[in-house]
Amino acid sequence: MSEPIECCDPDELARIKRRLERERAARREAETVSERGLRRLYAREQELLLLQDIATAANLSQSVRDVFQYALTRICDFLAWPLGHVYEVVSGDGEARLRSMTLWYARDDAAGAFRDATKLREFAPGEGLPGQTFTSGKPKWLTGVPDREDFLRRSEARECRISTACAFAVQVGEEVVAVFEFFSERALQPNRSLLALLPQVGIHLGRAIERQRAEDRLIHDASHDPLTGLPNRALFLERLNQLMAHARRKADAQFAVLFIDLDRFKIVNDSLGHLAGDRLITQVAGRLRGALRREDVVTRPDATTPGSSTLARLGGDEFTILLTDIHDPSDAVRVANRVKDALRQPFAVNGQEVYTSASIGIASSASGYESADAILRDADLAMYRAKALGKARWELFDREMHQAAMTRLALETDLRRALQNEEFVLHYQPIVSLRTGQVAGFEALVRWQKPDGELVPPGGFIETMEDTGLIVFLGVWVLREACRAARMLQESLPGAQDLSISVNVSPRQFAQPDLAAQIRTVIEEVGIDPHRLRLEITESAMIGDMDRVAAVLRELKEIGVRVSIDDFGTGYSSLSYLHSLPLDVLKIDRSFVSAMAHNGESLQIVRTIMSLAHNLGMDVIAEGPEDAEQVSQLRSIGCEYGQGFYFSKPIDLTAAMAFLARAQNSSEALC
Amino acid sequence: MKGIVFNVLEEVIVAHHGEAVWDDLLDAAGSNGVYTSLGSYPDDHMTRLVKAASDALGMPPADVVRWFGRQAMPRFAERYPEFFTAYASTRPFVLALNTIIHPEVRKLYTGAICPNFDFEDEEGGALLIGYRSPRKLCALAHGFIEGAADYYQQHAEVEHLACMHRGDPRCLMRMTVH
Repeated sequence: MSEPIECCDPDELARIKRRLERERAARREAETVSERGLRRLYAREQELLLLQDIATAANLSQSVRDVFQYALTRICDFLAWPLGHVYEVVSGDGEARLRSMTLWYARDDAAGAFRDATKLREFAPGEGLPGQTFTSGKPKWLTGVPDREDFLRRSEARECRISTACAFAVQVGEEVVAVFEFFSERALQPNRSLLALLPQVGIHLGRAIERQRAEDRLIHDASHDPLTGLPNRALFLERLNQLMAHARRKADAQFAVLFIDLDRFKIVNDSLGHLAGDRLITQVAGRLRGALRREDVVTRPDATTPGSSTLARLGGDEFTILLTDIHDPSDAVRVANRVKDALRQPFAVNGQEVYTSASIGIASSASGYESADAILRDADLAMYRAKALGKARWELFDREMHQAAMTRLALETDLRRALQNEEFVLHYQPIVSLRTGQVAGFEALVRWQKPDGELVPPGGFIETMEDTGLIVFLGVWVLREACRAARMLQESLPGAQDLSISVNVSPRQFAQPDLAAQIRTVIEEVGIDPHRLRLEITESAMIGDMDRVAAVLRELKEIGVRVSIDDFGTGYSSLSYLHSLPLDVLKIDRSFVSAMAHNGESLQIVRTIMSLAHNLGMDVIAEGPEDAEQVSQLRSIGCEYGQGFYFSKPIDLTAAMAFLARAQNSSEALC
Repeated sequence: MKGIVFNVLEEVIVAHHGEAVWDDLLDAAGSNGVYTSLGSYPDDHMTRLVKAASDALGMPPADVVRWFGRQAMPRFAERYPEFFTAYASTRPFVLALNTIIHPEVRKLYTGAICPNFDFEDEEGGALLIGYRSPRKLCALAHGFIEGAADYYQQHAEVEHLACMHRGDPRCLMRMTVH
């Protein structure tokens, strides 16, 4: 113990003590101020660390659940709260609801009864703590939880001694996608700085969801057709492969692949435009979906599990259906019939009625396939067969079909080459006036002169060219060649300048939007009188969009070209369009002409068609007269022109010129 | 050790024995006595001050520490009332040390090293408190508990069932509150 300082007087000592006391107080004050500052700094640092940790987790983690679990734990650690939980926003049909993701942080397995109650219920927007947080998008802090009317789990909260609750929303932009909630047994007043922090946490967590969604979208887009939303080829093959791997283990599981190709789709696409084509495809996809949705589609009577199906769009107008758990191929045929039925009603595209049908090829696992590619290929081949056999039908694959398809494929390749090498030639068949017996004109007919010398008639290649679209290129070539030939014929003899030239226009060609322009170009290029050019168009090419057909024909009329309707009587023979379209010439199909002599009915039909044509101001050409009797019969009923073997078979240009010269020099008429 | 502990020690010594004693203790411990709550100081300073107090007051060092702990508690309650008012009695206060109070202390004093206790209920209502720390300040804990009980106007008996000072691997205290 030190003695009191004796050198100082008591007043001095008291002053020094007071000073010391002041200094001490000042020091404490300074310490308090600094402590407060340091505490704030520390708190802010911890908050930033929390935010940074969660942001890092949200950016690095592979799964949303992992990120959320991390955030739950991290926030509970940060707050030293014992309980945290996450809701996801589910929107089934109609209103969004909040449902437990069954993600928890529960220190020492806290609050079991409360957790059970949470798991069991869903919250509507505005309902309870999660619902209110969902609706407002803002963090919420509740004190005195067990006594709050708006806290729906209050009795369980009381039971588990929960006193304070806090929740915040996870957001992607404005959209709330999840709600986090935290609970404490302590009575705690709202923590302002935390409430300011939580929305930022919510945004970071939202990024994880956003990334997940982008990923899901990429995966979906990579495996689905963007137009129809149906699985694409890749996904279809994947499912087929899975199924085949599965079927190998389970021998009695049968399945089938239906390959569907729309008939005449290319014509719709070419004539109404690609946008219309897309609309048609979308509607077709909808009907196919509907046809498959029917529950009884492939359920076999003894099936324990109903069959299921995958509808896919492979591209263009090609769809596929994978039918699983079928009994035998007839199940697949039943589905094919449903598909046919589903397409029977017209489609409304751009305010017009458009008809389409489907050619369907079926390959069944009963044939024993080793690979997905093989079964798909065979379904495709069967589809081609269905097309070849008249479209709007189904075909089952077999080996012969396969061979036929291989041949066809080779033909296609040959035809492409033939176009490049100009292996086509034109032959001309005279059209003779039955009244004067003079040659009125020629019809140009295309032949394929193969490199080996074989001359292939149109029946051997036109259909394939039509299907592949090659016909459009061939058509332009034929038109130009025929017009050139016509000029030579017209100029070969005096008095031949009025000879007409008839050229066939295929349905695909007719559907070209710039058909009239193409024809005008050729006419101007060759320098032929447009009135001498006759375009022969079949009935089938003219069905469909009547307004467009009429517009095209009017355009052709304006150029001065005349239009014949070819093979009349074999197709739809619609009187209404005969009446409403500006047609010049009607060609009666050879089948009526050849049957005329010994079949009164045929004669009557020819007579009727003729009077119909005449009434509409059209000339009539009878196709295929083979003998004098037919010719005189036709002449007697007032038919103007004939074109057939009786006069001449189709001949090359040199022969045609000679024929013409002979006919003119001969004093006798040809008939 | 955080400066606040030295500040409170000074307050306690000065309150009970006068400023001169504190000066003497500093001299005896060879310390200049510059302690601010913002700083941290070597544990050795505390050990030497306790030794000096033990010599000066004629008490074993452990008793000095325990006495200091008990006396310090009301002063902490004065400085940080929210740590105390959140609990109704000694037991929940003690149970909240690991999860709430020490984390808060770490917020107040960055870098503070607080011990982690383990708790076990004993039949008859006693609480077993385990403590393991290289500082071996079980006596301080003992004193703090008594001080907390004083704050809640209770009486706490603390019995050292095991003690690192007696060569046990950890300390184990039985707390009974009346």
